[in-house]
Amino acid sequence: MRDRIPLSLAVSGLIVLHGICLFAGFLSPYDPTEQNRTLSFAAPARIHFFDNQGVFHLRPFVYNGNSTRVPLRFCVDAHLFGVAAPDRIFLLGSDDYGRDQLSRLLHGGRISLVGGWLATILSLGIGVVVGTFAGFRGGWVDEAMMRVAELFLALPWLYLLLAVRALLPLTVDPETTFLLVTATIGVIGWARPARLVRSAVLEAKERAYVQVARGFGAGSLHLVMRHILPETRSVVFTQAALLVPLYILAEVTLSFLGLGLGEPAPSWGNMLAPLRQYHVLTSFWWMVAPAFFLVPLCLCFQVCADALTKSNTPC
Amino acid sequence: MLKSFLLRRLQHTLLLLTLVSMGSFLLLELAPGDFLTETTLNPRISPQTLASLRDRFGLTKSLPERYFYWVRSAAQGEFGISFAYDMPVRALIWPRMLSTLLLTATSLGLAWMIALPLGVWAAARQGSWPDRLLVLSTSGFLSIPELVFACGILIIAAKTQWLRMGGLPLAVCVLTPVSLPLLLRHIRAGVLTASGATYVRAARAHGVSEMRLWFRHVLPAASHPLISLFGLSVAGLLSSSLLVEVVVGWPGLGPLFLEAVGARDFYVVTGVVSLSAIFLAAGTLLADMLLYFCDPRIRMN
Amino acid sequence: MMTDRSTLVEVRSVTKSFTRGRWYSAQRVLALDSVTLSIHCGSTVALVGASGSGKSTLARCIAQMEKPDGGEIWFDGRNLTALAPSACRRFRTRIQLVPQNVAASLNPRWTAAQIVSEPLCVQRWGRANDRLRRSLELIESVGLDSSTLQQNSSHLSGGQRTRLALARALALEPRLLILDESLASLDLLLQAQIINLLIDLQARHSLAYLVIAHDMTLVAAMTDKVVELQQGKIVRQDVYTC
Repeated sequence: MRDRIPLSLAVSGLIVLHGICLFAGFLSPYDPTEQNRTLSFAAPARIHFFDNQGVFHLRPFVYNGNSTRVPLRFCVDAHLFGVAAPDRIFLLGSDDYGRDQLSRLLHGGRISLVGGWLATILSLGIGVVVGTFAGFRGGWVDEAMMRVAELFLALPWLYLLLAVRALLPLTVDPETTFLLVTATIGVIGWARPARLVRSAVLEAKERAYVQVARGFGAGSLHLVMRHILPETRSVVFTQAALLVPLYILAEVTLSFLGLGLGEPAPSWGNMLAPLRQYHVLTSFWWMVAPAFFLVPLCLCFQVCADALTKSNTPC
Repeated sequence: MLKSFLLRRLQHTLLLLTLVSMGSFLLLELAPGDFLTETTLNPRISPQTLASLRDRFGLTKSLPERYFYWVRSAAQGEFGISFAYDMPVRALIWPRMLSTLLLTATSLGLAWMIALPLGVWAAARQGSWPDRLLVLSTSGFLSIPELVFACGILIIAAKTQWLRMGGLPLAVCVLTPVSLPLLLRHIRAGVLTASGATYVRAARAHGVSEMRLWFRHVLPAASHPLISLFGLSVAGLLSSSLLVEVVVGWPGLGPLFLEAVGARDFYVVTGVVSLSAIFLAAGTLLADMLLYFCDPRIRMN
Repeated sequence: MMTDRSTLVEVRSVTKSFTRGRWYSAQRVLALDSVTLSIHCGSTVALVGASGSGKSTLARCIAQMEKPDGGEIWFDGRNLTALAPSACRRFRTRIQLVPQNVAASLNPRWTAAQIVSEPLCVQRWGRANDRLRRSLELIESVGLDSSTLQQNSSHLSGGQRTRLALARALALEPRLLILDESLASLDLLLQAQIINLLIDLQARHSLAYLVIAHDMTLVAAMTDKVVELQQGKIVRQDVYTC
């Protein structure tokens, strides 16, 4: 029972992180694309309860540029918090266009997470179909498919991703770019899940109950659906826990290198992209904001993956 | 025996490389546009100049023709020409590759030197608090993305003025910790598997001294996964540092590749991809050969 | 006693070999070397021999799980080896094999009811209600309590599993039941119980058995004929008349 503590912590962490990104519209104070050219690279605002004279105020407040108190207002205009109109509150600072980093972080998280999950589903879908088909059919089909998978595995993953991404049109509307990037990431990663599913299928195919079911005339469809696919479930779950963070990072990397999702739609990758300019990196530390989400997210997924791997290998 | 083994592996590698190069040619062919597409938009360059450029770069030829040109050129060690730099790809890649190798070999060597003793030591004291601490921190480090880590180190270096040491030390500082946790984890797991084997327990029951037990029984048995791991490290020599190079600004293959990808510099992309595939294949080959010499079971079979 | 009965299965000089290794270093291993054998309706034939002598291969050939390389297998007056695969599928239900490892032949994720009714589902036998009634009937005919139907197969004991596997094999009313060392993992008392059950079932359904066994003592009580295999060849055939 004690082994389950990290797992349940990780799962609840994941639920919280996904929940935060899901309710980005409510939790974030501004529209992620709203620009304030006069406030570029504003430092994160500090929330105060005591003013300069040391007087306590029940309603928390921030100081604006002229050192006047700006009290926080809660639950206004379908946002969790905000401040009265001419002033702005940037809890995580602002970027070069003066956009609120927190709003971008949450909205960007929605895009990055959905992208990661979609790409994973795509990869696993291809992997399960190809792996099951190859493993169940066997023979030259299996041989050929596994050779192709080997080819995909033999290429350095990031290089392949970059090369393929570069071949696809770069300047299209954001939705198409999002789908293109996600599809590229998902399709390129099909080989590993396919191989793992195949070996699970090969093992399941030789099980005595499959042989017996053949004996009373069960067709391939019955065997695959009722006996073999359930056996691949643990592989699929473990792979999902490994692939989602990997693919989120793939999107981040692509966008960071300028080959992923473009402005103005936020994603964790293109939020990090300004860091390629050295002076941004050294002077405005709050530009690494996506890291505050990426690190716990990866940690939670990794704990899940470890727990799943452990439960699958009988010791 | 060794010869036939090597021959078979070599055959496999060659087939793989052929498929890789063909695949990248096909992909690049499918892509819309080429290196000169953007130049076409420039009104100051006449269609005649463009046509002559196309002709010179061989872009008017058919796909198989270009592929054979490339294969011939690769066999001579040139790997085609770079359109953007107007020079043989080899001359362009070579210095970049050396600097990448300098970076990756240094940091991988360093990572192995740290990870090997640490991993074995942790496995030998499995369950003790230093071991647990190590396992925990490995998991923690593993979940820090490379990109984030690189940025973090750069920020620290800038704040504390360490950046003045610049260049190689900084890049190594970033790349070594990135590759360390995975190595450590695998080494520890490999040694643990070996030390939990039945014959090790039997030897311990026979009263074999701990020293002899570890050096004669456990470590040779653990060498198998470690050698495979080493092969993987070698395989990643060219491809593991792309991101770090870009972030830190190390003049290796990574930035060149990105630039070539952006400019559709056809042969440079193919050249870099093939080169890293060669390294991947070489790494596996190396691991196979080492295993062949170290593992009596493979030699027998 | 058995001379008046008609022949159910006739194996005529069946050969089967396997290739080992990959295509460039393939070795052929002869598993069955022109084996000829006949099984009469309602009789019991025991197949004995050392491991690797081809017993299981012969069983699998008769059960249509492997295609023999040469020779013919006749079942109830039809040549199975000459039948098209689609026609073969129908005949498969007439011959049922209870495999070596009974526990592994039950999907651990399934309940006993699902396992027993699987053959019925596969052959689209009746409606869900009919199938349930039939599974209950089957379960009771092998001496299991009807409450076991709802249990997960991984929670059953060794004897219960063997009975469950038998019930499943009987679901499609086969003529021949092949027991491939199916009792080997049970203790002696349970073996005796199951053998009594088998004799009982044989009388009720006029079943023929092909029993594969390591040691003869186990099956001597119920066999009419003993066939000994050695390296894919029949070296001895004894007919018991009792």
